[in-house]
Parts: sequence; C-alpha cells; structure tokens
Amino acid sequence: MWKAKRKAVCSALLASGLLTSSMLSLAADSEQLTTQSSKLSLENCHIDGIKEQIQCGTLTVPENYQAPSGQQIDLHFTVLSAIDNSNNKIPLMFLAGGPGQAATELSAMLRNRFYEVRKTHDIILVDQRGTGQSSQLKCHDEAFTAKSVYESLTFDFEVSEVQDCIAEFNQDLSQYNSENAIRDFDAVRAALGHDKINIYGGSYGTRAALIYMRMFPQSLNSVVLDSVAPLDMRIGLFGQSGARSYELLLSNCQAEESCQQAFPNLDEDYQKVFNQLVVKPVELTIAHPRLGTPTKLVIDVEKFVTTIQLQLYSLEGRSIMPLVINQAAQGNFMPFVGVLAAGDEKQPRGSVYSNLLMNIACNEDFPLIAEQDWQADANNGFARNISHRGVRLVCPLWPKYRPDASFYEPIRSDIPTLILSGKLDPVTPPENGERADQMLANSRHIVAEHLSHIVAVNDCGVGLVAKFIDELDLEGLDASCLAELPAETFMTSLNGNM
Amino acid sequence: MSAAFGQLRALIVKEFKEAFRDKRAMMVAFSMSLLAPVMIMVLSKTMIKELVETPPVYAEIVGAEYAPKLVKEFTDENILPLSESKEDDLRIWQERGIKITIPETYGQDMVEGNIIDVVLNADYSDKPSLAPIRRIKDVITDHARTIGYKRLVMRGVDVRILQPLNLVEQDRAQPSSNAMMISTMLGLYLLMGAFMSGLSIAIDSSAGERERNVLEMLLCQPVSTTKIVLAKLSCAASISILSIVLMLVVTSITVGFVDLSKIGATFSIDAGMFIALLALLIPVCILAAALQLFFSFQAKSFKEAQSTVTMLIMLPAFIPFILMFIDDRPLWLDWLPVAGQSIIIEDMFKGLAINWTAFAFTSVTTIALAAVLVMTLAQKLKSEKVVMALS
Repeated sequence: MWKAKRKAVCSALLASGLLTSSMLSLAADSEQLTTQSSKLSLENCHIDGIKEQIQCGTLTVPENYQAPSGQQIDLHFTVLSAIDNSNNKIPLMFLAGGPGQAATELSAMLRNRFYEVRKTHDIILVDQRGTGQSSQLKCHDEAFTAKSVYESLTFDFEVSEVQDCIAEFNQDLSQYNSENAIRDFDAVRAALGHDKINIYGGSYGTRAALIYMRMFPQSLNSVVLDSVAPLDMRIGLFGQSGARSYELLLSNCQAEESCQQAFPNLDEDYQKVFNQLVVKPVELTIAHPRLGTPTKLVIDVEKFVTTIQLQLYSLEGRSIMPLVINQAAQGNFMPFVGVLAAGDEKQPRGSVYSNLLMNIACNEDFPLIAEQDWQADANNGFARNISHRGVRLVCPLWPKYRPDASFYEPIRSDIPTLILSGKLDPVTPPENGERADQMLANSRHIVAEHLSHIVAVNDCGVGLVAKFIDELDLEGLDASCLAELPAETFMTSLNGNM
Repeated sequence: MSAAFGQLRALIVKEFKEAFRDKRAMMVAFSMSLLAPVMIMVLSKTMIKELVETPPVYAEIVGAEYAPKLVKEFTDENILPLSESKEDDLRIWQERGIKITIPETYGQDMVEGNIIDVVLNADYSDKPSLAPIRRIKDVITDHARTIGYKRLVMRGVDVRILQPLNLVEQDRAQPSSNAMMISTMLGLYLLMGAFMSGLSIAIDSSAGERERNVLEMLLCQPVSTTKIVLAKLSCAASISILSIVLMLVVTSITVGFVDLSKIGATFSIDAGMFIALLALLIPVCILAAALQLFFSFQAKSFKEAQSTVTMLIMLPAFIPFILMFIDDRPLWLDWLPVAGQSIIIEDMFKGLAINWTAFAFTSVTTIALAAVLVMTLAQKLKSEKVVMALS
C-alpha cells in the first residue's frame, strides 16, 4: 500500500524547474512585520488524502509590503498538529519546491512521510503566493494546459498565446517573488504565535530557506536544506547536471549483472533514438492509454528527452529507464507511452504551478545567464540544449522586474543547518550542497550514495531530519542508515525480472 | 447550629480514625486505583505491539536464490530465513515450521508472464503463526501488485484505469489524538473505582460495627441517626474520591511508559479535564457510599454483607460495560445516574464539548438518589430490627 503511494508521492515531488530568488532586497534587519491576528482565521478542515481533520488557515497580507495598506492577498496554509504536543516543541515549516509547488497540496503526503517529525512537532505548510489557494496566477491559455500529452508537442504554441495568458493576470507580477514569499512565511509564523520555527526546504525550498536565513535569522531555530539550490545556481541550466545523473544511470546499470546483460549498449541505444528523433519525430496511432480509443501519438526529441530527464529525479523512474530506452531503440515506444500516461493529468496534486515558476525563473535567474553559459551547459551527451528551450522561448515574453544585486550575495549564517544531497540527483548535485556547506558556519553536509532528488523520501532520511531538529547535534547525527540503502536496481524485461 | 456541626465533625473524625486503623481495609480500598493504571499500561503495551510492531519472523525459504528481489522485500519487512535466527529463537520457529517455497522456474516464468505459484505452508490454527502469515501474504501481494503495475506501464496503459473509484474518507471526529483504547479503559475503571473503593470501609463501619457492638453504643448517644449515617457516608465517599484522584494521577504517570506515538496517539489529562472528571465523579462516589451503607445495614452479619453487598454493588459498576454494547442509545440514558456519567466521560475523552445540561442533571439525580437513601437509612436505624439485624 505504502509502496504504491510512495511512487505517486515521489513523482509529485519532481520539482521540474527548481529554484528561486527574489526582488526588492531591502536591508532585512530593518524590516518589521506587523501582523494583526484579526487577519488570521484558523479552522478544522478536511483535505484530500487525509481522513482526519487538520487545521486550515488563511492570513491576509499586503500584496506589496512597501504599501501595507494597498491591495491585500489571502495566504492559504495548513497545520498538521503534532501527535504529542505535551512538550510544546518548536514547529517545522515545510518550504516546497518548484518554484511553484503549493505546499498545502503536499499535506497528505507529508503527514505520512514526516511521521517521525510529526510525533512531537507541528508541521506548517504555506501555499507560496501565486500558487494553490494563495492568489494563484491563473490563466486559461491552451499553451499551459496541453490538450493531450500524446499528440501535442512541447513547443507548438504561439507567442501570442503566452502574451494572452500574461494579460489575464490581475496581480502585480513584480510582487510574486522569492523575498515576498519569505515575508509571507514569516508573517504566518508570527500570526500563529511562534517565536521561532525550524524550516525544512527541499529543492527550490532550499533557496527559499537560504533567503529566510538572511531576512529573518531571529525567527529560525534550525534549518534543513535537502537537495540544495544555492543563489549562485541558475534555474534553467540543468544540461550538465542532467547529463551527470544520466551517466550515473549508465554506470549503475553496468554494475548490476542483469542490467548489464540485458542492455550492454544502453548509451548507444539512447543516442540512436535521440538522433532518429532529431531527424524526424515518431508518429503512430495507438490505443489511448486511458480511453482505449485509437489516438494519434507524436514523439519528438524534446518530448523524449524531457520525459526521461524527469524520470531521473526518482528511484522508481530510474528503475525503468534502461528498459524504456532500450525498447524505444528497438522501435517499441509503448513503454515510453506508459511513462507519459503517468503524467497525463492537468494539474496533479503537488505539481508545479508553471506561471509562478516562470515569473520567478524568468526574473531572478534568466537575466543572469550569459550566452556562453547556455553554450557551456549545452555541451553534454544527454539532453544537449533541449532543457533550455522552454525557458528561452517564454522568458523573453515575460513581464520584467529585477532583484537587487544584494539578492544574489552568498548567505552567511550560524544557524544550525543540516544539508542533504542525493548523489544521483539530476538538478541539484551534491556539489551544490558542498558549496552551501562551505558558506555556512554551523552546518554539516551528508550525501546519500544511492538516492536521487530529495533525501527525505524514506524513513531513514526523515529520521535524520527529525533527530536533527530535536537535538541540533550535527556532529553526533548518525547517518549510517543512508549508507546502508541498497544500490539502485533496474527492470530488465517487459514483465519484470527475478 | 455550631454545636450540631461540632457533633457531626466529631462523628466524621471518629469514622476516619476507625477506617485508617484497619490497614488491610485501606489496602483493599486503594488496590483498585493502583492496579487499574498498571492494567491499562500493560494492556496498551500489548495492543500496540500487536498493531504496529514487526518483530522478526523466521521462515524456511526454499528456492530463495531464484527470486532475489522478492527475498529482499521479505528482508525489508523483517521476514528472514530460518538460518539467520538465533539459538533460542531457532527452536520456536522450527516448531512453528512456516515454509515458503519459490519454484525453480521463477525467473523464466516472470519474464514470460506466467503465473508463478509461491507456496506458503504453515499451521493456520496456531495463533502465534497468524501475524507472521499475514505479513508474509502482504509482502507477496504488494510485490506482485507492483510488478503488475509496471507491466501495464510497459504496455502503454495508464495504470489509473485500475482504480475506477477513489474513496475519499472524511472523519468528522474532533481531531483529538487521545488514545481511544486508553480512555475507554480508564472511563470504565474510574466508574468501577468510584463504586468499589469505599466498599470495605462502608461494610466495616456498618455491618462490622454492629458485630463489634459499636453501633449500639453510637445509637445510645444523643445524636440524630441522620448525622451518624452522614458521617459514615462522608468517610466511605472520601475514600473513593481519594482513590479516583490517585487513579487519575497514577494513570497519567504509567501511560508515560507506553509509546503511544507508534499508533499516532497520545494520552494526557490536563487540569481542566481533571477537574471536570472529578466534579462528575464525586456524586457517583457519594451515591456508591450510600448504596453500600444501605445494603450493608440490611445484611444479617459482617460475612453476609461482604458477599451479598459486593454482588449488589457490582451491578451498577457494570452499567458502563453494558453501555459499550448498546449502539443506539436511547436519549434518557444521558440523564440516568452512572449511565449519564459514563456517556459524558466518553465524550470528554473524544474531545467533544461537554453537554452541561446532562452534566448538571445526572449530578442532581445522582445526589438526590443518594439523599433518599440516606434519609431512608436514618429512618431505619431508629428501628430495633435494623440495629439488631433481626429483620
């Protein structure tokens, strides 16, 4: 049961772009947030996937913190109460990834997965402004709601469609940035009456956490950075890190006897399909994976590569990739279609709200990427420049705001910080964690040899988080259970294997 | 007035002195309040163990080499080959003799998509084998389902079509994580404690005093029988109230030794709840003492009192037990003594708002009933029949 759930959960955690930052960097220490409890409402509620009632809340905050009496927005958040509250332990706030995941949509998943934390700590989840139920950036543009994942191509949309979508927003886009998101989170903390909180950030959530450490250090008791996206990394430049993760897949397949026997030339298989699709996309008529009716399937090289790249984020996805690639090389694209089908949902719970992703990535990261950066990143043997195309198409069309230079400065802090990385990670490789570890005065970096994106995906990883926020003892933290996790294994036949 | 009160006070002091002189009676009185928390602790521990713990299971796995992935799933769930068991466990598990047989053709049948027979051989009538059997079956079903899903994905099928309906469950219960099993047990024990704790004291100060000829002496004094009965009542009721306070305090402590978070629950009694429980139970203690005195005085001898009164008193103490088996409770039960209190305690532990009208009404009816008993008894003590046990 848990296994089936975990699969869905892990795929939900794929933050497809990952990271962020923000604008209007004012001297943080001069900032005072005045929150009035009258703007706070809190009630018991039901949320999909949790049988018991949890607490749902709304906090009204200004859209622009520089104009506190201007336009107001409602932030939506949930609180998962600790099982045992008798010790009044400091709660944990979960900062979601993306940018663009709505944290409250992960409530059910976290309630199960962070059980060890929830035993004694409340868990607070806030929808980042622009996502979920916090003033979501909505538009009805077809470009962002694909008609069919089987037929549509990644880039068959018009520039005008993107512009029409942007025109539909009634928010001031320049306010939907990383720093304001942190002001929101800290306002929720204050409104709930907590002097200090622990924060856990995963993926883009780590960038949010780093900014939090800079803006409101006095609010933080401890920090966990899981799969780090430091401020000096650029969302969109994932060519090299993706290729690195793919190379590890190849070498791990060669290391496993059955995988090596079944797919001795896996990289050749991949390159063969890649080159074939560059020349001409595959067009077939298949039975629709869900409807069962004949439907048109088009696979171009972008669709092929981006789908595989997304599977590299999770062990479940990785376990079937060699087979999917090898079958495609033999002309059987049905396994690939099966993988596509798993993502055939308009806005699955916990997925990234792409408008906020674009708003942040196109303003906080894209402008800083020079042409030679793009070229250097494209010089790889996996996705080449394919992962760049979406961002490079859309970002020039996006309304512009710019953070100050100070926004990008490295963060110095002596708040106790646990840094976690998965060695197989295709977007936030362990070297990112290493850089963060060097910057921070009071931190420890732990690399999980056999995990991919996000380390707190199993009892061992979550146990580390729980123990750390309980004891704040970086030195004494025993991470041996991560080392004991088995190496990744692969499916080697269409019916599975022994 | 003050003289009258002084008389009553002197009587109460006398009753307490008598009560505390008899150490064994006191032991009996408080035994329940000490035993109940221990019972609660031991029972919860075993229940939690049954629910969540996965102690190692050792089974003979024949053909493990043919299905390494399945065996790894077993290992992950703490189901291990017999060869790995320790000396002292080995004999137990050999006797249980759970055997899993994996066929030689496993690998090939898997690739070809044939159904593979995995044999589980065990004694299904052996109770200790039941949990291991269930866990082994779960691993096999889960593993098979995972492979089945992957097979469909590989054929380009959207696996969600296997789940036409998704049941979204919404539990309207107040989000209280109080462990139901503990609060149920404690609720029962509290009411039983209220009824049983003062029993030995009440019997001793009625039937006992009569046999020791103390009662005659007392009745010769120029005091009203009502005061005598009230003094005896105060003493017996105080002992049960003390016993309940003790039970609540000791339970709070012993529950700390149970790791309830394993089942996602906690148990704590805060000051507000403590006071509410006490306010609710004090009338029950008074009624219990009144009933005990009433029936003890009816008994012919000390011995008879000990047997029959104990039996009689057990009856109301069982009301909460009976309530557990009544699903559709008629409304008037809320207002009855004992039943009302039992229902309110249940609600309190569920985190529901207390029905104050019912609270007040049951308390009043309980006290009224006790008052009627006291007055009747005071009346009866004026007759020789009762005093000399001649009836």
